[in-house]
Amino acid sequence: MPRLETHSVLCIRREGGVAHFPGLASPRRIHCGQCSDAQRQWLQDLLERAAQCPDTEGGADRRRLFIEIEEGESATGTLPVWSLSLDEAQAPEGLVALWRHGEWQV
Amino acid sequence: MGSLHCRSCRYGFMPPYVLERVAVQGSERLRNVARHTLTTDQTFRTQRGPQQVVEPLTAPLPRATPGQPARYIHSAEHRQELPGRLIRKEGEEASNDPAVDEAYRWLGATYRFFWEVFERDAIDGRGMPLIGTVHYGQDYDNAFWNGAQMVFGDGDGELFNRFTASLDVVAHELAHGVTEREAGLVYAYQSGALNESFSDVFGSLVRQHYLNRTAMQADWLIGAELLTDQVNGRAMRSLADPGTAYDDPVLGRDPQPGHMHDYVETQADNGGVHINSGIPNHAFYLVAMALGGYAWRAPGHIWYDTLRDPRLAADCDFATFAWLTEDNADRRFGRQSREVVAIREAWRAVGVTS
Ligand SMILES: [Zn+2]
Repeated sequence: MPRLETHSVLCIRREGGVAHFPGLASPRRIHCGQCSDAQRQWLQDLLERAAQCPDTEGGADRRRLFIEIEEGESATGTLPVWSLSLDEAQAPEGLVALWRHGEWQV
Repeated sequence: MGSLHCRSCRYGFMPPYVLERVAVQGSERLRNVARHTLTTDQTFRTQRGPQQVVEPLTAPLPRATPGQPARYIHSAEHRQELPGRLIRKEGEEASNDPAVDEAYRWLGATYRFFWEVFERDAIDGRGMPLIGTVHYGQDYDNAFWNGAQMVFGDGDGELFNRFTASLDVVAHELAHGVTEREAGLVYAYQSGALNESFSDVFGSLVRQHYLNRTAMQADWLIGAELLTDQVNGRAMRSLADPGTAYDDPVLGRDPQPGHMHDYVETQADNGGVHINSGIPNHAFYLVAMALGGYAWRAPGHIWYDTLRDPRLAADCDFATFAWLTEDNADRRFGRQSREVVAIREAWRAVGVTS
């Protein structure tokens, strides 16, 4: 996993569930350049925990979280350099809170 | 430390539905949430480790006698551990917890539908216990089937009510178990949309059967009870008129197509499984309306025959599925039957066949 730098952008989306609501599907973006060092480290730790989560198979109407680290802003936008998809039920607690309420834990 | 200091960052990150709801409705509760989130210094909370993968329940729960469900309703007590604490099992009196008692009641109605209409004994046809968990998570806006049991959140109270409130949603989840056992339709793209459509069709039929409504009398909605009165919408989906169930500043607009012209090519939502299911949903509705009477009779039987047809491949697409429904109608009712004609016309009307 790449290290989050001041030029990194963290993008989190949630998909799935018993219906697809377009209004709830838009990604949340965190610009690391606007975070403190402690916040960036907290995010890094959160991503490392997320990457170690077991995934689940089967079922229907489950929700999933999609995480991307984007780097470098150009005329064509940002480029994902790393991505992860995981079952919401397996995700570290802080990740869902971050997506849902914008809550920080530092 | 604490809340974010830069405005663009924190506002850019707040879920748009929270901010919009605050702006549009001025809800006191959400205003408090927003204030808390944006201004309060948060202490570092201890993290829970990743949760265990849910193991399918293999516990030796008593099997149902044919014609009798075996229901086990648990409470997750607002955590995300399954199945949670057992609150009410088959034959026990009401618990006085509305979510528990709704799950119990609606799983019973769904069991009765499959038994009385198709002589099917539960999810696996062999009396598999019906395991449900309510009060899953905090303000959890979803219901799902995890491969072994059904799970229902309480909703956040602002956008969604508790997910046991709708009989058709409870039946939708149970039907995922039936589809998984019978056809194993891959949960992506067109086969995934067929998987979703089976759950909506059976979900709606269970409701029609429970209320004793004909095709003409039915509302053909999924999840009408789930949306709070703050949401501008009738339901989550409409089989009669896909794409018209809701149009809300927060939820957005119902994205379902009812015709192949409007088929949505997307990677999102497992390749649009809850989006493009509108097309086969609407085909079923058209068949039911053309034939009239109770939709669980001829139309329901043809769909159920097709679900059980060994030729229904796990990666089946819409066109193959359309042909299979017509062939199953032919087997049951004959080539010249009005059922075959209705099916052929319905698939043509939604643009799956020409
Ligand atoms: Zn579903």
